[in-house]
Amino acid sequence: MEAADATLIRAGAKGRVGDPFSSPWRRRLPLLPALVVVIAITQLPFLVSIYYSFTNLKDKTQSLIPEPTKFVGFDNYKQIFSDPFFRQAMWTSVKMTVLAVVLSLVFGTLFAMLLDRKFFGQGLIRTLLITPFLLMPVVAALIWKQQMFSSLFGILNKVLTFLGLSSVAFISDHPLGSIVTVLVWQWTPFMMLIMLAGLQSQPADILEAAEVDGASAFGVFRQLTLPHLRRYLELGALLGSIYIIQAFDAVDVMTGGGPGSTNVPYFVYDESIGGGFRYGSASAYAIVVVIASIIIATFSLRVLSGLLKDEDRA
Amino acid sequence: MATVEYDAATRLYPGTSTPAVNQLNLAIADGELLVLVGPSGSGKSTALRMLAGLEPLDGGRILIGDQDVSGVRPRNRDVAMVFQNYALYPNLEVAQNMGFALRQQGIAKEERNQRVREVAKLLDLEPYLDRKPRNLSGGQRQRVAMGRAIVRHPQVFLMDEPLSNLDAKLRVQTRTELVELQHRLAATTVYVTHDQVEAMTMGDRVAVLRDGYLQQCDTPAILYHAPANLFVAGFIGSPAMNTLAVARTGPVEIAGTRIGVDDDLGGDRTVVGFRPEAVVVGSGSIAARIRVVEDLGSEVFVHVLIDHSGEERRLVARAEPPFPGQAGDSVQLGLRGAVHLFDEAEVRRATVTL
Amino acid sequence: MSERGTQLAVGERRGMRYGLGLLAWIVGALWIFPFAWTAFTSFKNEQDAQAQTLHHGLSFGRYSEVSHSTTGTLSLATAFTNSLVIVLVSTLIVLALAVPAAYALAIRQVPKWRDVLFFFISTKFLPVVASIFPIYVYAEKWNLIGTRQVLIILYIAMNLPLAIWMTRSFFMEVPRELIEAAEIDGTSLINQLRQVILPLAAPGIAATALLCLIFAWNEYFYAIQLNFANASTMPQWVLGNVSTRGNFLAKLSAASTIACLPVILAGWAAQKRMIRGLSMGAIK
Repeated sequence: MEAADATLIRAGAKGRVGDPFSSPWRRRLPLLPALVVVIAITQLPFLVSIYYSFTNLKDKTQSLIPEPTKFVGFDNYKQIFSDPFFRQAMWTSVKMTVLAVVLSLVFGTLFAMLLDRKFFGQGLIRTLLITPFLLMPVVAALIWKQQMFSSLFGILNKVLTFLGLSSVAFISDHPLGSIVTVLVWQWTPFMMLIMLAGLQSQPADILEAAEVDGASAFGVFRQLTLPHLRRYLELGALLGSIYIIQAFDAVDVMTGGGPGSTNVPYFVYDESIGGGFRYGSASAYAIVVVIASIIIATFSLRVLSGLLKDEDRA
Repeated sequence: MATVEYDAATRLYPGTSTPAVNQLNLAIADGELLVLVGPSGSGKSTALRMLAGLEPLDGGRILIGDQDVSGVRPRNRDVAMVFQNYALYPNLEVAQNMGFALRQQGIAKEERNQRVREVAKLLDLEPYLDRKPRNLSGGQRQRVAMGRAIVRHPQVFLMDEPLSNLDAKLRVQTRTELVELQHRLAATTVYVTHDQVEAMTMGDRVAVLRDGYLQQCDTPAILYHAPANLFVAGFIGSPAMNTLAVARTGPVEIAGTRIGVDDDLGGDRTVVGFRPEAVVVGSGSIAARIRVVEDLGSEVFVHVLIDHSGEERRLVARAEPPFPGQAGDSVQLGLRGAVHLFDEAEVRRATVTL
Repeated sequence: MSERGTQLAVGERRGMRYGLGLLAWIVGALWIFPFAWTAFTSFKNEQDAQAQTLHHGLSFGRYSEVSHSTTGTLSLATAFTNSLVIVLVSTLIVLALAVPAAYALAIRQVPKWRDVLFFFISTKFLPVVASIFPIYVYAEKWNLIGTRQVLIILYIAMNLPLAIWMTRSFFMEVPRELIEAAEIDGTSLINQLRQVILPLAAPGIAATALLCLIFAWNEYFYAIQLNFANASTMPQWVLGNVSTRGNFLAKLSAASTIACLPVILAGWAAQKRMIRGLSMGAIK
């Protein structure tokens, strides 16, 4: 046992385990491996992307007139602000993310409330509800595209025609809606798990006290349960947003881009390896997205949410 | 305020074979403070929760006033409950906690605030009205829990071990305040505790429960001096009553010495019991050896060993300070006061006063 | 005190419990329908699949079709093995890195831990589609294209932020007194971690591991872009069964079902633990 450890007996500090004898550098030690690995793997591409964004890098094999790669300064960035398609993609991203996150939170909460009681087959139903989250996003998208939405073979249209209604071209007529459907289908279980955790962490005696105090079921939910769930909702929204904003597989499979359904990731893909091969400008777009994300995330996490507003360890 | 009646009330938890509360019969008068006391598993909390409506009845009825509330939901019973862990609403301030029930009833804001302020004054909570529960001490939280119940002016107050989470000194202090409050409000109160001292000092009457059955329900004095059975005799009073197995017939002999009790209940007598204050150290004919002397300042408890029917038995005697004896001394014991005789069914059948 | 969920909730009448239970069944059935139907379709032949009939001869035919490897295309065995190795290795390394990091962020907190957490999360802001080009360039330079290593490396970076976030929350749930008691008893820091903290946080770490497994197994973009046939993973194998000529719905259904089955089974087995792990304190 290290000599220093033997003296670490006074744990008097409030909050985190008291450690008046070890230096901050010693405490940072366990963090370093993870930090180094992440920095190495993620920052390298990031920095290279920044570099590319200042060039006019293109895939030389794709263009007829080969251009030498050169610095173009902020040209790529200037171009972004006058690009209506990029604005369109941003707006689509916002719509897609907000719709998918909000809807899956709502459904997730409702399902969690439904499942928060003992009934016959509770475990089985919960298992079934979780499954969509476990599927590969490409598989999920394919299922909806071919089995459900398809005009030729899709179940939904078969049901509609069976009922005497005309069939709907879901994907062509409602591209964004179709994609959001798949996203919600997959992410609702995730939100449901988080909300179930939230519901189960609420002490039972508080609910009993509310009932004895005369509150109706809805009253209890609105005044006590919902405030308690707020942190869980925030966590779900945060994690969901981080993943859903990047949604690519669903867009690629369902609509292959196209107006109304191209979100930012797909737009950047289109611009780079998906057809445009303009790596320079694509990188610029990506950097803009990163900056915007950092700003939004900083704002939400520090100001709005209590997630990082951590009291010392109780 | 109202009366409360348990009429053969029974609760059997699914999957168990013995009822948690078994045919409980209790009649509580208007304005009475009735204490439900017993060891854990005795059913006292279950009985309280049945009255609150948090446990369903599997048999019998419960009446509040003259109304059978057995099928009525808690929120419609007009009872207020103080929970053991207080169950304060964490996201609401103290004032909102206390006004919560009034809000559910749709009482106007003005009146709500006024009633909350009144009760806050009563309980010295005024400085804390805008704090959240997590910023309160244990004692403050307990008072908020009380205030939340009081502000409702319910028919019945229910309290589930409300003092058990307080430190010892605060507990004693709050105990008396609680009794004063209850008298002032003339509020029918059902109070659950496992602490027999609390029960004895607070209750107008005390109901002793064991394994779901009511053992005895009487005033503290009667429980103390005339316990119905061996369990009550041993549960009530601290230090516990001394009990010894004795011969079924003939005069009672302790450590081979006759003590002057000849009643043998017709041959049914199996146990005698006598409290520490009935044991006199220093004069008498029972030989004993001192084990431990506990000097509390106001009184002294002497723990002794006697040789009774060939086995070593421990007794506790109460003595007035100053007590000259020490551990290891040999002494003589005598009995003066109530000696209770119990039969095979542990029922107290007779008491002799020496 | 009765078990949570067995007592009627506030406002619930007895009859409502059955009604809500029934509703739960309906909801569950509807929600799983798309996938259930697909799994069902995998047993049909192609005509029935396209006609969406309810019954007919059901067989495992499609499954044997997709399992047979034809030369030149990615075989199930190869893809499965690759996926398995990549997922297990990357998840293990993620856990090995996340546990100490979480220790430094929860128990013996470093200064500015909030900033560190934010940094980890921010690494997920760069769209994968943007970083792919630089990654490709360097992967090619270092001869990593078509290897398992490159995917392992990328998945580690992909999952570490989430793993660290979750593991940190679970460590925050460990009562400080236990750690202090171990300290006084002379336990070294490593053993405090091993004998006190990890056992208590185990369900949460299991939940974290499961999430990492799910995300790594299902990852598609990097796998497609950085691979040739010999190191490809299950997502690519599934798409290899999507043919543009005609619609091989039943075959695709079979392939999809196989591809998703391992994760589904793992998720089913571990869902109780996931909920328990999440409720332990993923929220702090």
